[in-house]
This record gives sequence, structure tokens and C-alpha cells, in this order.
Amino acid sequence: MRLFGKTSIDFMGKRKTWYIVSTVVILVGMGSLFVKGVDYGIDFRGGTELIVQFANNVQVGDVRSAMEKIGFGRAEIKTFGSDRDILIRTSEPGEGNIIAEQIRAGLTAHFPTNPFTVLKEDKIGPKIGAELRRDALYAIIASLIAICLYVAFRFKFIYGVGAVVALFHDVLVTLGIISLFDGVFNLEISQNMVAAFLTLVGLSVNDTVVIFDRIRENQKVFRSMGLIELINKSLNETLSRTIITSGTIFVVLVVLLIFGGEVNRGFSFALVIGIVTGTYSSIYIASAVVVEWAERSKRKAKLID
Amino acid sequence: MRKNRSKIILIVAAVLVSLYFLYPTYMDYQLHNTLEQLHGADSLAFVAKNENDLREYRQKRIKLGLDLQGGMRVVLEVNVLKLLEDLAKNKDNVFTELIAQVREEAGRSEESSVLLLRRKFEARGIRLSRYYGSLRDDDEKIFQNLEDEAVKAIDRGMEIVRNRVDQYGVSEPSIQKLGGTRIIVELPGVTKEAEVRQLLQGTALLEFRLLRDPEVAIKVMESIDKVLAASMGDSTAAKPDTTVPADQKTPEELAREHPFFAIVGISQQSGEAFVMEDNKEKVRRFLELDDVRAVIPKDMEFAWSAKPTVGQDGARFYTLYPVKKTAELTGGVIVNARANIDPNTNLPIVTMEMSSEGSRDWARITGANINKRIAIVLDNAVFSAPVVRNKIIGGNSQIEGMDNIEEARLLEIVLKAGALPAPVDIVEQRSVGPSLGEDSIRSGIYSALIATVLTILFMLIYYRTGGAVADVAVVFCLLFLLAILAQFKGTLTLPGIAGIILTLAVAVDANVLIYERIREELTTGKTMRAAIDAGYAKAFTAIFDSNLTTFITGVILFQFGSGPVQGFALTLMIGIVASMFSAIFITRVIFEVLTEKSGSAVNFG
Repeated sequence: MRLFGKTSIDFMGKRKTWYIVSTVVILVGMGSLFVKGVDYGIDFRGGTELIVQFANNVQVGDVRSAMEKIGFGRAEIKTFGSDRDILIRTSEPGEGNIIAEQIRAGLTAHFPTNPFTVLKEDKIGPKIGAELRRDALYAIIASLIAICLYVAFRFKFIYGVGAVVALFHDVLVTLGIISLFDGVFNLEISQNMVAAFLTLVGLSVNDTVVIFDRIRENQKVFRSMGLIELINKSLNETLSRTIITSGTIFVVLVVLLIFGGEVNRGFSFALVIGIVTGTYSSIYIASAVVVEWAERSKRKAKLID
Repeated sequence: MRKNRSKIILIVAAVLVSLYFLYPTYMDYQLHNTLEQLHGADSLAFVAKNENDLREYRQKRIKLGLDLQGGMRVVLEVNVLKLLEDLAKNKDNVFTELIAQVREEAGRSEESSVLLLRRKFEARGIRLSRYYGSLRDDDEKIFQNLEDEAVKAIDRGMEIVRNRVDQYGVSEPSIQKLGGTRIIVELPGVTKEAEVRQLLQGTALLEFRLLRDPEVAIKVMESIDKVLAASMGDSTAAKPDTTVPADQKTPEELAREHPFFAIVGISQQSGEAFVMEDNKEKVRRFLELDDVRAVIPKDMEFAWSAKPTVGQDGARFYTLYPVKKTAELTGGVIVNARANIDPNTNLPIVTMEMSSEGSRDWARITGANINKRIAIVLDNAVFSAPVVRNKIIGGNSQIEGMDNIEEARLLEIVLKAGALPAPVDIVEQRSVGPSLGEDSIRSGIYSALIATVLTILFMLIYYRTGGAVADVAVVFCLLFLLAILAQFKGTLTLPGIAGIILTLAVAVDANVLIYERIREELTTGKTMRAAIDAGYAKAFTAIFDSNLTTFITGVILFQFGSGPVQGFALTLMIGIVASMFSAIFITRVIFEVLTEKSGSAVNFG
């Protein structure tokens, strides 16, 4: 079976149109980040978080009034998966697990006929939260640098730059979309979410490298071909693989998103977005950066002439 | 076939080794399934019969992270400030005020509390020697000493925590040092939070307790043995068969007639009771029975050695010490302890210094108990039980008889734990209930299965024979991944399952790259064999480079991440290696065997 015959799409010719699309998506995302922000999870914020499962369905509002009674009116309360599972989170300072104990006591008092069990209880000190935030940032920066260096070493420097620009693009787009869709799903920025971002970086660069590899190979064979034509040829040749692989991973991730359970939801959502933008950016960002660079050098060379 | 013989042997070997690594995981699953269906006495009997297997398989199976099996993770931080307060002498208002200021700052600052305190003192023009060390010492020296104390406090804290967790009896606990001042404790399966918090945070209790004479202890143990034999004999009503000498009886008979002595040995030389590690739990259960407790004298109890002794044959056994219930002295009187090598004998020793008031008691206690043994007990575990040689006046004691300097260092830490409890704070606590864990496993495995089946079907339809071969590779890849995880004691977490799913996608990608290439080569008119050769050769750099970059992110994730995230990074890294082996090497060999006679046996759709 074959889904794609031989194609000859002029990818690079339309790159400027796609720049606009990318810019718009990123701007919308940034706007949402600016206005709405992202929801930092307990890992990065510090505080106390409980996930409790009630025997019968409860209303979030009801839980809120229970929390207001014990003075935790500012606590964040939402359902977690089903209407029986409730997540309660507060940054209220308190020694040890006093806060968690107060919350449990408050719930028991407010729902005397609806017993609950604690599924998960986390308490993170504020100092730890700050450290985890810093480590996560370091991890992302370190991986971007490492990838840039590796790609620059295996290909040419400008390819490394192209790959990293594409990765920045992917991270920004995904972050923006997460900010937009937070509330529809539980999309808080947790340690798992950072892992998702790093995986997204890995998948995206994986795709980019496959295309670069083909460009490198074609450069050796078609020495006289212009760069744009060469890149277009390489993109067309790898298109079938790009779509099959990305398509497979996309399906896998959608399965994970739907059936993977509440705990994995944010993680798989970020990756679903990531695989789409990662595939797109390999073509319209990573390869395009290489083209732009070459065009600019050409113009410069002309000016000198 | 011949050409590929060595490769095929390699693949078969890899598969067999993988199956061998995964066997304990499978058996563990089987045994626990059987166990779940049994009830009451049956399950107890099953546990007794399969105790060794159960433990062994459990140890070697794939470990599940806390997020999957439920449990607690606690991060403790040594409270250096509290330590500084405890160490200070002549505390006055100025000191209290400065400490309060440092406490305020330490919450925000990255710098050590010792340094902050020093700065505060310098700003006020107060010398550190006013509160610490001796007047002759300059600030720099005292500062260094205090920093040293802070470092030692964490070792002490680790030892105290480890000792308590060991006594508490959690299976597979993990206790690690993190950075300079933190201890990570992971306790799978534990949900009693309040109990654990107390366990980890309570002040360490060091005691000196007199050992009862071996003769007394043996008498008590004989009564215990009788009580147990009587309670067990109830059902079978078997009278001890006195016509057969004891050494000719079968182990079963012995166990029935002398349930206690069947698993508790008595040393001929020292009269000490010892128990093989495997039987420790059983003896512990015996000792908790009401009937047994009734025959133990009121002022006596049994305490376990903190660490097992390793015999010549590698057997590990614990000593069961008969100690007096009331302590002669508690560790608060210890001023200092130090492990050393005795210059005369070249053997490790520990010297211990006591406060003047402790020294008086100590002189009286040692004087009254010459040639008797005094146990050094930390949180109910005996670390050493030296014999009193003579009356110790002045509070300077010397303890000998350690096998090596490590043992001596441990004793030093233990003795200091009594003097200076390492104050620890809980800075992070996570607990996952077992039911959330079960739900997570179920949905994780469920989605992994759906994803795998979809991928396998797609490959089969899209690439025909090639797809079938790729599917075989995917299965092998999964097998290798799990085997490596089991063998190297990796931990499977929920993000780890996601990592496995991604690995499978990466493995499929490698084959997609190769097959697309082969298809391209076929359109240029090459024969099947030539196309396969060219396809593999040309796709290799792309696969290698792309996998290596993903691997790099894996390494970084492993470095910076913690807990579940590390689990993800680990499966990703192992998965990349496993998928390269199966997707490139194994599929290649299969194709070569298939195309040996003719190229038409293979089809790439």
C-alpha cells in the first residue's frame, strides 16, 4: 500500500506564507500566556495538593464552601477525571502536613455522609519548588544547547541554528496552546509536563535531522543544484516517511490522551501538539532558516561584487 | 543461513538472556496472583512454603515506581540552623536575635546557614568563639568546624533514618543523599503518613542497656520454645518422640517439637542467640505472641542487632540480644565520639567522651558490671555490645572489637546521634494511594496495548512482509527494554510507560525510514537484494543521528529530573539502544535469511 506517490511540492517557495502563520500562532499563544498565563503545578509552586475520591459525586462549589469554612477560600479546586475525584491545591504556608490535615478534617465535617479516600497527597516546601523550577529551566536550556552543538557538529553550523530555532518555535507554540486550552483539560506545568517538553524537543529534532540527512546526502550527488531546489527535492523525497512516522506517533499519542488516564493527560496533550508543530517546523522553520541564511549570504556576496 | 549463523546465534542469545532476566518478574506476578486467591490459613501456609521464592522474585522483578504501586516519598533536610542553636553555649539574647535573623534570610538565600550566621556575627563585631569552640580559636577555624558539623549531621541523619526504616520493616525502601543537606526516603506501599512522619522526624534515642547473662537468656528461650511447641502441638496432638535422638530427627520433626530453636541458633562460645536473615520476620512474629510475652521476665526484652553479620559462607544472620528493659544511661551524656586506629594494636577503636555528670553515673555503672556486657542501642537496635573491662572514671571510654574502620565509623555516628540528634525537617512529602496507582497502571497498560496493536496492524497493511518483520522487531525491542529494566533495577513509572510507547514509535520510525528507502531503490530498477542492501546503508546515518539527538535529551532529562521523570528518561535511553538493535540489526538478518533463495519472498507493499 502506498499513500504517497512521487511528489514535487515547492515547499520553500511558500515559506514566507508559513512564516506569517507561525507568527500568528505564536502571537496568539503569547497573548494568552500574557493574559491568562500558565497554571504552575504543585511541583513548581510549593504548597499542598490533595486528590481525594468521594464515594458519591460532589459539586466543586460544595467543596469550595467546605474550604471557605476552614479559611482556605483561595484554594484551587477542580475535578480530576470524574465528578467523584476532586483536586484541592493551596499555597497556604504551614509546617509539615498540617494543611493537609486541616483540609481532610474540613471535608469530613462538610460531607458527613459522603466518605472520601485520599488518592494522592503532596506537600512541597517553597524552597524546593523554586529549585525544581530552576532545574527544569536548566534542563530545557541544556538540551537545546546540546542539540545545537550536536547538529552543528554532524552537519554545518547553520543547520544547528536552524534546528534550535525550530525547537524554540515548537516550545513557544506548544506553551501558548497549553495556556489557551488550560481549563478545558488539566494542563498544569508540572515535572511531567517538562518531561513532555523535552520529549517534544527530542521528537522534533529527530524529524529535522532525518531531513537534514537527506539534504546532506543529496548535496553530494547533485553538486550543481541550487539550495532551494535541493531542499525541496529532499523534503519531497522524505515526505512519505515524515507523514507515516509522524502519523503513527500522532495516533499513538491520541490513544494515550484518550485512554492514558487523568495523570497522563497533560503530558500527552503537550506531545500531541508537539508532534504536529515538530513535523511542521522541520520543514518550514529548520529548513527555511538554512535557506534564508544562504539567500542572505548570496545577497551580501552580490553587494560586495 | 550459514553466512548469518553467528548473527542468528547472537540474536537468539539476546532473546534467551532477556527471557531469563524477565523470569523473576513473571514468577512474582504468578505467585502473587495465587496468593491473592487464597484466604486465611491457606495464604499463611503458602507464604511459609514459598517464602524464599517470594522474596527472591520480588527483589529481581521490574520495580514499580511510587506512582504505580502507591507509597510515600519524603525529602528531609537537615536543619542546620537548629544544629547551630544546639551546638552553641552561653546562648544569650543577642544570639537568639541573630539566629532569628538568619532563619529569616535562609529561606530566601542559596548560601549555607553557617556562612550567613558568620556574616551576621562579623557585622556586629562579635567573635564566633563567644558561642562556639574555645576562646583561643579564630573565626576561620570555628567556621570550618561548624561547616564540618553540618556535613556530619547529614550522615548522622541518614544513619538514624536508615536504622528506623530497617526496624519499621518496609520492603524495598530507598534512602539516598541528595546534594549536601537532603535525604530522600522512598517507602513503597506505606500509607500511614502520621506514623511515618513520626518515624522520620522523632528525636533519636540512644541508650546504654545492660545485657542479661546468656544462661538467663537461654532459660527464657527454652520456655518460649515450650510455649510455642505447645500451641502448635494443639492441633496435631503429637507428643515429642523421645525415643529418637535429636540429631536423627528430620527438620520437620525438629520444627514441630522445637519451633523456636529450629530457627534460632545459640553460639557455643558466646552463648549469643542468632537468627538467619530469612527467619528474622518469623522470630519477630513469635516474640510478639501474647503467650510468648508472658514467659519473658518483666525487666527483660529481646533487641535485634542493627546490621546482620555475614558468615564465612555468605549467610547473613542477626543477633538477638537479651537486654534489660530500662536503660542505664541515655545518649544525652555523650559529649564526643571518634573512630580511630589504635596505634599500639593497629585495630579500629572508638573513643567516647562523656559530660561530667554522665561520667559519674558511668563510673558507677561500669564499676558494678565488670565483665558484663553493655549494649549500645539506638532506637531499639543494638549497634554494639562491648564487655566492660574495668570501672571507667572520668568519662573517657574506649570501645574495641570492630572488624574494620567502617564499623568503627558507624559506631561513632551512632554515638553522636545520641549526643546531637540531627534535626531534620520534612521539606517535601508525596504520597500516592494504592488505588490511584492501580488505576494508573490499568489505563497506562491499556493505552499502551491499543497503541501497539494499532501500530502493528498499520505496519502490516502498509508494508506487507516488511511490516511483519518490523512488527517482530517491535516485539523484540519491547522484550529487550523490559529485560534491561529488570536486570539493572530500573524503576518503571507512569511517565516510564509513556516512554516505552514512544520508544516503540521510534523503533517503528527506524523501519519506516529503511523501507521508504528500499521502495525508492526498487523504483530505480534494483533487484530486491540490492535494494535492501542500499536501503539499510543509506538509512543508517539518518537513524543514527536522529536517535542520538533523542538520546542526548534523555541523558539531560535523567540528570535534571527527579523520580518519575527520571523513570521516563531511563526507559527512553534504554529503548533507543534496544530499538536500534532490533530495528536495524535483527530485521536485516531476517531479510537476508528470507531472500536467500529468491527476492520474491519479500514484499514491501
